[in-house]
Order: sequence, then structure tokens, then C-alpha cells
Amino acid sequence: MRSRGRGLGYAVAVVALLTFFLGPFVWQVLTSLWPDDQLGRALPRSLTVGAYASVLGGRPFVRWIANSLAVAAATTALCLLIGTAAGFALAKLEFRGRRLLLGAALAISMFPPIATVSPLYLALRAVGLRDQLAGLVPPYATFALPMTLWILSSFFRQLPDELYQAARVDGCTPLLAFRKVLLPLAAPGLFTTAILVFIFSWNEFLYALTFLSSPEKRTVPVALSLLAGEHKEPWPEIAAASVVATLPLVALTILFQRRIVSGLTAGAVKG
Amino acid sequence: MLALLSAACQRGHSPGERARLVFKYQPLWGDPAPLREHLARFAAENPDLDLRVETLPNSTDLIHQFFLTALEGGDDSFDVLVADVTWIPEFARAGWIADLSDGFPPDGLRAAFLPGPTDAVVLGGRTFAVPWYVDVGLLYVRTDLTPRAPRTYDELRSFARAAMERHPSLAGYLWQGRQYEGLSCNVYEAIWGHGGQAPEVGRRILLDTAAARTGLLYLHDLIASGISPPLVTSAAEEETRRVFQDGRAVFMRNWPYAWAELQAAGSPVRGRVGIAPLPSLSGQPGPGTLGGWQLAVNAHAPPERRRAAARLIAHLTSPEANLLMALAYGRNPARRATYADARLRAQAPMIADLAPLVEHARPRPVTPYYQLFTDLLQGEFSAAISGIRTPEQALARAQRQVDRLIGWAP
Amino acid sequence: MGTVSRGAPSRGGSLAAERRQAYLLVAPAVAVLAAVALYPIGAALWLSLHRHIVVFHERSFLGFANYRFLLADARFWSALGHTAYFTVVAVSAELALGLPLALILHEARRGRGLLRALVLIPWAIPTVVAAKLWAWLLNPSYGLINRLLGGADINWLGHPVLALHTAIVVDAWKTTPFVAILLLAGLQGIPEDIYRAARVDGASSFRIFRSITLPLLRPALALALLFRTLDALRVFDAIYVLTEGGPANTTETLSLYAYKTLMRAGDFGYGATLSVVTFLCVALAAAALVRGLGRGWEEAR
Repeated sequence: MRSRGRGLGYAVAVVALLTFFLGPFVWQVLTSLWPDDQLGRALPRSLTVGAYASVLGGRPFVRWIANSLAVAAATTALCLLIGTAAGFALAKLEFRGRRLLLGAALAISMFPPIATVSPLYLALRAVGLRDQLAGLVPPYATFALPMTLWILSSFFRQLPDELYQAARVDGCTPLLAFRKVLLPLAAPGLFTTAILVFIFSWNEFLYALTFLSSPEKRTVPVALSLLAGEHKEPWPEIAAASVVATLPLVALTILFQRRIVSGLTAGAVKG
Repeated sequence: MLALLSAACQRGHSPGERARLVFKYQPLWGDPAPLREHLARFAAENPDLDLRVETLPNSTDLIHQFFLTALEGGDDSFDVLVADVTWIPEFARAGWIADLSDGFPPDGLRAAFLPGPTDAVVLGGRTFAVPWYVDVGLLYVRTDLTPRAPRTYDELRSFARAAMERHPSLAGYLWQGRQYEGLSCNVYEAIWGHGGQAPEVGRRILLDTAAARTGLLYLHDLIASGISPPLVTSAAEEETRRVFQDGRAVFMRNWPYAWAELQAAGSPVRGRVGIAPLPSLSGQPGPGTLGGWQLAVNAHAPPERRRAAARLIAHLTSPEANLLMALAYGRNPARRATYADARLRAQAPMIADLAPLVEHARPRPVTPYYQLFTDLLQGEFSAAISGIRTPEQALARAQRQVDRLIGWAP
Repeated sequence: MGTVSRGAPSRGGSLAAERRQAYLLVAPAVAVLAAVALYPIGAALWLSLHRHIVVFHERSFLGFANYRFLLADARFWSALGHTAYFTVVAVSAELALGLPLALILHEARRGRGLLRALVLIPWAIPTVVAAKLWAWLLNPSYGLINRLLGGADINWLGHPVLALHTAIVVDAWKTTPFVAILLLAGLQGIPEDIYRAARVDGASSFRIFRSITLPLLRPALALALLFRTLDALRVFDAIYVLTEGGPANTTETLSLYAYKTLMRAGDFGYGATLSVVTFLCVALAAAALVRGLGRGWEEAR
């Protein structure tokens, strides 16, 4: 491992960066415990969980989280499945249309989503998927696939050809070689992509707002937008809701992160 | 995937089932029980209907976006919808909301409801929506810092300055100057207060008038002279409400909702605030902008559901419902008679006091083009109050763009 | 293993089989992309050639008149300028911050998993919530930022010049973790032996970083640059919540202009035109980047 002898400069950099990235969220947590009538002060005189009670009490938060979870999991699974296969082909196999596929995929993800809302709404209505959670998965997957394809194909391309060729020479089909040899090495890329797709799908708002209407099908971002009054913006409640909504993601990320570490140690056995 | 699709495709009613009636609205801040009970009464009186209630996010933009997409796509999955006061001409012109003149004849509406909302929902002699609750822009005054509410702009400025001299950390007058619809409301109020009718809606939408220029200049000068702090250019309702509630300002222009917050236990200004009409050039009460929401029927729904929807609307806008909305949710009634109701005076005197203010509330231009040009205007208004352009330049630009938009040519 | 492969012996046979397998592997992706994206994008392209104001049921074919109008539309050019400026500054900041962050995460010993998860929080929070969070921090009267500056009165989001830069800071806060995690994955892919060998040769940390780490990180950097640029050019949520395009449209980006035209005014025709042109701008930027970074892609090792 590289030596950590940089001492003070390193420590300062760490503290500065962590403060910048985590500070606002810590402040958000504090705001969620802040009594509303003391918001004018620099610091709260007392803390209260009233905001959490108001946000969680009588609201089907678990249902919302379950909905978001279902859609995000389905999208991630779909993207990984399709993306891994296609990414491998793009990286390691010879065929015409490689550049075209990558370029077209990129082009699709570059299109402003707002212009696609109306046509997609009509299309989903036509196939009866409007107001169905399943109806969100194809659009989400479509907008997450390009990033998936690019990241995975880049990762696969970085993996040493020799291992793959060695497996082929030993008598494996490309698919088998892929599964047994390259897949474990590509774990960091897979989990990175999984996290990014999951988070993108979890936080997506526009389609979830437009295509779903039943209250029991709400996803978390749309549900959060229901909290304010017509004019009133209850800051502690909004903060509390955002903390509760972010916790599942943080938990899942911790889980995924451990897998990345194990993927790292597996990948260190190379060359 | 295919199984999912086929399962999802199975919709529609079997004969003998109750017809579904869906009411889409934005949630009211407060205890949901009173409204739920009120709706339950309707459901009990109409056992042949299956009433469902669906909420929308609480942002006017998002609701408009949702309805635009859904109604343009011919959606008939909801029957009763809420509409902002400026959307009725737009939705009616597009044919998205049904003509309700049978159930709600225009004359009846005019007799029972306030003039402002009635003008917003009765178009071409036909009723397209029924007012649910109203809002009006008004002035909040710190009664302990000023002798009385200012009636003219000069009084506003001098009272504010006097208070600011006695307490240097105070802000004078808070209002909403962020680039959004709230700014338009403030600007129209300034224009009306200066005697203007702008924007005048006839064959041409006339923006560039003398009163408009004076009104914009007045707002710009409020910031330039220091009576209004620079933060108003990024402030919406809540930002100004919080600063005022902290006791750091003398006057505030806001909607009636702020009253309940200002008088809540723990509020630093509890008991020291009064409300008044906005000032004007002449000293007469300046008209406040009309806000509020109306109930309309989705024109895509089949006739039986439309009739049931009209019944639901009647139930939700009855005198009893108006009173309930006022007492339980602080929503100002749209019916004139409710303001004189003894129960309202007893339990919510502030709302009862709003009667003269809402009577004179003026609607924004009633035209299907409103959404088209309001965005243009917000940009130009914002430029004028920030000093990026002079009021003359801003209004001239706005006029050019609006003329081109509605295809007006001299 | 133990499976006898088909078509392995002859060179020509394996190429054809390889190509067939490739098409098979790629087919699902193509199917999903085509099925979902083709119709909306096609519809947008078609609509951009019309005058289609939804409320008035106006629908007339205009050919390229919308595009001609757009070229003369001052508001479009302002929006383009704001968007370009936003992208260049934001992405530069994100790369400049993301690399040190990735290095720190890579080196962390204790509490690694937790640290990495925590740093990902800004990215994990929904954009609307993050923007509201910052709006509160930047509140001129109550925000923490002004308080930390000793009670200053700075109008972060209401000042014509300051507002756009504030939005850039918020965007950088939100998306630097995304860059960091991409770069981190790239760092983890660099084998340890290379470092060991270099250190045995007596190279300093800085030299190692410059001559080994950075070049090997190029593919990850290129990916981060590409995707961040594409996203920054289409920024919408954060700006909408923070300023709604104000003051006086000084923070209006292309996406925001398209949104207002489509969803407020109901002008589907011109809104589609704006979307198509936004797409073209993004496509040009992407093509330029891919071409410029093309070497970085192949040069994996």
C-alpha cells in the first residue's frame, strides 16, 4: 500500500472535503430536529422529533419506499442483465455496428426527458401500463442503459485479453469464458453501475409524477413533493422526510460498497 | 414482461359495479379528517358511486404540467379536478373541462359567489368551473411599530422609514420578487394601485401603459431606496413570511395563509400584527390579486360520470362546505354569505374581516393566452425590479413578445 | 469448465460464430432502446416541424420555420450561453474535486465502507430535495452560509451574476460523488504490483501519481467527463428549485426554457424544437469529447 506520510496537508484536505460534502446533510438532519418556531435563531435551543412524527405518522412511508424499491430493483436488474451481455460484446467481440450502438445509445440518453413525457404518456396509455409501477421500468431502463453500456464496455475492455484467450484455448465458448473468468474481475464495474442505476431510478421524478396517479403507487420523490402546504413550506418536515427517504439508499450503498471491496481483492490476483 | 402487460391490460368495469368517481386535488395543510368526513357524507348519499380521492403535489407548476399532459392525452381516469384561477379560460378553450351551466347557471353563481372568482369561471355566459376557495393579496402591518396601516404609497414609505430609523435592523416592506407567478401578482397590484388597468385584454393585450411603467418603477425604487431589502428578489411567500414572523420587518405583502402562522403560539409577533388592504396612489384601498382554486369537471369523462361529478362539486362548494373549509383549513370562502355567518365570525374572525378585501380582489387577465405570456412577463418584470432593464425597456420588450405570440399586428 | 466449444477450430468459423453471439448478446439492449426511445424522439422531431399550441388545438405544418425563429431568438442564445458556461465551470470543478476525493476514498483504512457510503449521500439525495436543502442554507436571512460569514446579507440566489455561480456550486456538491465513484472504480482497477515496482525503483509519490496513476485512470476520467458534460448540459431540477430561471432569466438553461415552453405555455411545437436543438448541442459536445478522448479509450493499459 502507498505510504501515508503526507501528514498535515492530507488531513486538512480530508477534513475540508468531508465537511463540504457531508456538512449540508448533517445540517439537514439538524434541521429535521429543529423546532419550527426557533428557526430564526442561529442554533436550536432544543431538539424535537415532532417533524418525524408528523411525516411518518399517518403516512404510508413504508409503502412509498417499497414502491421505489420495486421499481429501482427491477430497473437495475434489467439494466445489469442486458448491459452486461451487450457490454461484453461491445468490448471483446468483433461485429459491425459497435460504434453505431454506442453512439445511438448515447444519443438517446442525451435527449431532454421533458420532451418525451407527452409521447411516452400516450404510448403507456395505449399498452395499458399507465398508473402501473411496471410501466416505469422500460423508460427508466432506456435512460439508464447508455450509461450502463458505456461503463461496462469500458470495464470489460480493460480486462486483460490473455485470460480470456487462455480460457477460450482451454475449450470454453465465449460466454463461458466470460462467466467464469471475466465476470468476477469486472465486479467493481458491475457494482458501480448497479449503484448508479439504482440511485437514478430511485430519484427519478418526472415520469413517476406523470405516469402514476394512484396514491398507493407513489414513489418516494413524488411523495416528498406532497408535503408542503399550498404556500407553506414546513422546513423541519421537509428535512425529516428527506432524511428518512435517503436512509434506505445509504444502507444499500454500504452493502454494495462492501461488495466493491471484495471485488477489489479478487481483482488483485492478476497478471 | 408479456404477462405483466396482459395483466395490466385488464381494465374496465363489470356490469353491476359502482361507477368510479375520482376527485383530484392538492392536499390541504392540516388535519385531513374534516374533509374526509365531508366526502364520506357525499359517498353515503350516493351509494351507487365509488368515490376515490387522489392528491397531487403542492406545486402549481407541477399540477399544471400534470393536467396538460393528461388532458391533452385524453385521460378520463379522473372526473373532478382542481384548477388555479388563471387556468379556467385555458382549459375551457382547449375543451378539457365541461360546461357546467346546467347545474350552475351563471346568474346563480353571480348572486351567491364573490364577483372576482365568478368572473374567472363564467366565460362567454357559460359556467366552466365553480370556485372552491379564494385568496387575496393583502398587507400585513406591525401594529406596534406604526400608528396605523398606510393608505398611500407615500405613507408606506414614510411609516417604514420612521420605524427603520427607530430600529436600525428592521426591514421596511417585504414582498415577493423572485421570478415566478408571485412576482406577477405583486406587479399587477402595483399597477392597479397606480390607477392602471394593465394588462388590458381586448383584441390586443396592452402591457406598456403609463400606469404599468410607474408601478414597475415604484417596485424597483423600493429596493433601490432600501425600504425593501435586496433579499426580496429571491423571496417567495415563505421567505418573506419567516422574516416578518421573526419581527424583522414593518410591512409585508402576502396571502391570508400567513395570518395563522403569525398568530400561532410561539410566534415572536403574536398579537402585534394587523391586516389591511394594500395601499394605492389615491388612498383608496388598492385591489389585491385574486388567487384561489376552482373545481371543474373533466370533459373526457362520459356523461353519467360528468353528472355525478357536478353533484360532487355542488357538495364541495355548498355553504356548509365553505364554512368547513374556512374553520378547519383556513381557506377563505368563495360564497359571499359565508362571511356573514355568525359561526365564522365567532371562530375565525380574521377570515370574516376579509370580506371587503375579497369583494374587491381583482383577477389577473382572464384569457386563454395567460399561460403563454405570463412566463414572458415574469422575466421582464424581474429584469425591471433588479435594475437590469428600465421599466420602459422591460415593458416594451414584453409588449413586442406578447404581440407576436397572439399574432396581433397593427 | 469441461465443455467442448463449438466452432472453435477454424479461424473463419469462429469469427462468424463470434459475430452471431455478439448480435445475440446485443439484441436485448437494442430492443429496449428502440422500443422505448424511438417513438418519443421521433414524435419530438416531428412536432418540432409544426406549430402546435395545445390549448388552441392549433396544429399546422411549418417546415423549418421554428428553427429559423430559434436562430433569431435572443432568449435561446442567452439560455445557450448560460448552459455552456454552467457546463464548463461545473464539470471542471467536479473533476477537480472528484479526483482528490477518489484518492482519499481509495486510501482510507478505517471505516472504508461507511466513509464511501457517506460520501455518496449528496448523489443519493433526490435533486429536488438537495436543491431545497441548499436553498435553505443559502437563505439570505436564515441560511447557515450567511451566518458563518458573520451575518452577511448576500443575496446568493437573487443577484443576477451570483445566482448562476451559486447554482454551479450546488450542482458540484451534488454530482462530485458520482465522479468520485467512477474514478474510484478506475483506481481500484490498477494492479498493486505496478505501484510496488515503481516504489522499488525509488519513484516519489507525486511521480507515481503523474506517470502511472493518471494515465491508467484516463478511461475512467474520460467516462466521468463525458457523462458529467452530458448531464450538465441538460441541468434542470436544481436550477428550477433554486431560482426558477431568475432573476430576469439569468440562470435560465436550455432545459428550463424548453420546460417552460412545453409545460407552462403548452407550445408543444416550439418546445419540441428547443428540445431537438438542445439534443443537437449535447450531441455535438459528446462527439467532440469522444473524438478528443478517443485515444484515452483504447489506451487502457
